[in-house]
Amino acid sequence: MKYLQLICIDPQAAGTPEAAQAMAEHVEPWVRDKDARGVRILGKPLDDPANARTVRVRDGRTLISDGPFADTKEFIAGLDILDCESLDEAIEVAAEHPVSWFHAIELRPFAGELEIPAHLDDERLRQLLIPCIDGIPESDEVEQQLRLDIDAYRELVDARGVRVMGGPLAAASTATTVRVRDGKTLLSDGPFVETKEFMAGIDILSCESFDEALELAGAHPLARFHRVEVRRFVDL
Amino acid sequence: MNGTVEQAVQTAFADEWGRIVATLIRRTGNWDLAEECAQEAFAQALVSWRRDGVPARPGAWLTTVAANRALDRIRRGARGAQLLEQLAHDPLAGTGHDGEREMIEDDRLRLMFTCCHPALALEARVALTLRTLTGLTTAEIARAFLVSEQTMAKRLTRARAKIAAAAIPYRVPPPELLVERTGGVLAVLYLLFNEGYLASSGEQPIRAALCAEAIRLARLLCELLPADSEASALLALMLLQHSRRDARVDSAGELVTLEHQDRGRWHRDEIAQASALLGAAGPLAGGPARAGHYRLQAEIALCHVQPRTDWVRVRDLYGLMLEASDSPVVALNHAVAVAMAGDLDAGIALVGELVQRDQLASYHLVHATHADLLRRRGELAAALPAYQRALELAPSPAERSLLRRRISELSGGPC
Repeated sequence: MKYLQLICIDPQAAGTPEAAQAMAEHVEPWVRDKDARGVRILGKPLDDPANARTVRVRDGRTLISDGPFADTKEFIAGLDILDCESLDEAIEVAAEHPVSWFHAIELRPFAGELEIPAHLDDERLRQLLIPCIDGIPESDEVEQQLRLDIDAYRELVDARGVRVMGGPLAAASTATTVRVRDGKTLLSDGPFVETKEFMAGIDILSCESFDEALELAGAHPLARFHRVEVRRFVDL
Repeated sequence: MNGTVEQAVQTAFADEWGRIVATLIRRTGNWDLAEECAQEAFAQALVSWRRDGVPARPGAWLTTVAANRALDRIRRGARGAQLLEQLAHDPLAGTGHDGEREMIEDDRLRLMFTCCHPALALEARVALTLRTLTGLTTAEIARAFLVSEQTMAKRLTRARAKIAAAAIPYRVPPPELLVERTGGVLAVLYLLFNEGYLASSGEQPIRAALCAEAIRLARLLCELLPADSEASALLALMLLQHSRRDARVDSAGELVTLEHQDRGRWHRDEIAQASALLGAAGPLAGGPARAGHYRLQAEIALCHVQPRTDWVRVRDLYGLMLEASDSPVVALNHAVAVAMAGDLDAGIALVGELVQRDQLASYHLVHATHADLLRRRGELAAALPAYQRALELAPSPAERSLLRRRISELSGGPC
């Protein structure tokens, strides 16, 4: 089972020397260990959420706004894709990540099969597209058409050779949030922050420029009805 | 004749429902299918048993019928061929096999751990446990928790969907997780029991059923995990509380406090069972190997059903409990035990401190306890406002009524 592990930062808990030290000391060993175990497929930190852009297309016009899709104080600072036996294993892996000791990690299963490219070059992980549903479901016909359009869209992006990997996520209600406090693993049912908007999937792109990624976000079928967030990956 | 068949089906339902559902979930991986086919097997039993008589092993009969239904449905389904192939590869797909019998025993344990998985919302764990393990209907569970049937159905559907989509494993947890996860199962069972026992609202018959089901599940857990001392302590605790059910409420529906209960109405057999369970658990350990929370609670409950409560022992037991938890409720009970064990002044002083704590300021029992102790010391004028504060905060009609009686006694007439 493939899970999206979201690194969720609570700004109120950030910046303590204790947290900073734990991150500096433990993130790298975590990555090495999980790669060696074969439970981590890829992962990378994301640029400051202030540099995120959210794209919508209404009446044929592309509207770009600053910031992430949901306006919350907590934000997503990075992600990993995990390949685990079961949710229990994913929880164990997340609970060993220092972010869960001070902030939170959200685990979301992918819906259906996730294609993993044979060669994953870290250099090619450049931008992240997050198609979001903003809480208002469309009619069944629209939803069905959307699914077909999304398949066609993925083929288009693949043809350009800029899609590294990605896919739809299972419903937000299947998410589990992991926090470790006083040595105890605490779980909660659902996403790390409850908003009416929720992530419908992710696509990792290797575009030459951020503008090209914005253009692809605007071409995403969900941009016409909902919105698509675009983030930049940064090096660890 | 029909009466006996119906009774046989009812008995089989109580004994076998969870077992059948648990086994079908393991074999098909599909929770909805498992429940629906189990339901159909019981409906079929009503017809067939009337015609052919009750089979020698009703459980085996029902399991076979339910499994055949499931196979039929899968065969007809879109992904049927694929699923069937998986089932055919299951070396234990047959019945009667020794290994299969062991698997079936474990199935209910697997189901319990999966229903009580901490990645599910607590209310979903409780609902799922009731629906899949005891077979209470969605409508009955909805009534017990005072939500609409539609809301409860949604809650169950969402939980089952998460189990499937997020791959919550259908298994007994590995040793490193077992203690913690067993604690989670016990917490769900106790919550279930208290939901029935405390009866803050809702319909009586359903509430009583919750207590009975919680006890049945605890008994099952003890059978399946005989080495777990906290499981048997929880069973003992529930039995002790449940044994007083007929004396806790008087004919007018008013709550009767322990000291005023008619002890002739206690269920002595249940007290004896609980006492035996605790006796078998050996002496209470202190220090780092200290007794678990349920053990201490059960030991205290056992003190309370003796002809005379040994308050010194109760005080010491609460003292042990306080070492492990800083729960304000435990602190309150400890303070009461200190007072009852002979040091009324020290008890009142402890409760006086608790009244000042923010966490407890809006907890009616702190004020009611404070008032009770002040009354015992003869300070009626000080007791009255504390009773009044408790009355403002008390959530249930029965508790409010008890407090009103106290106030009227103190004021020297009906208020």
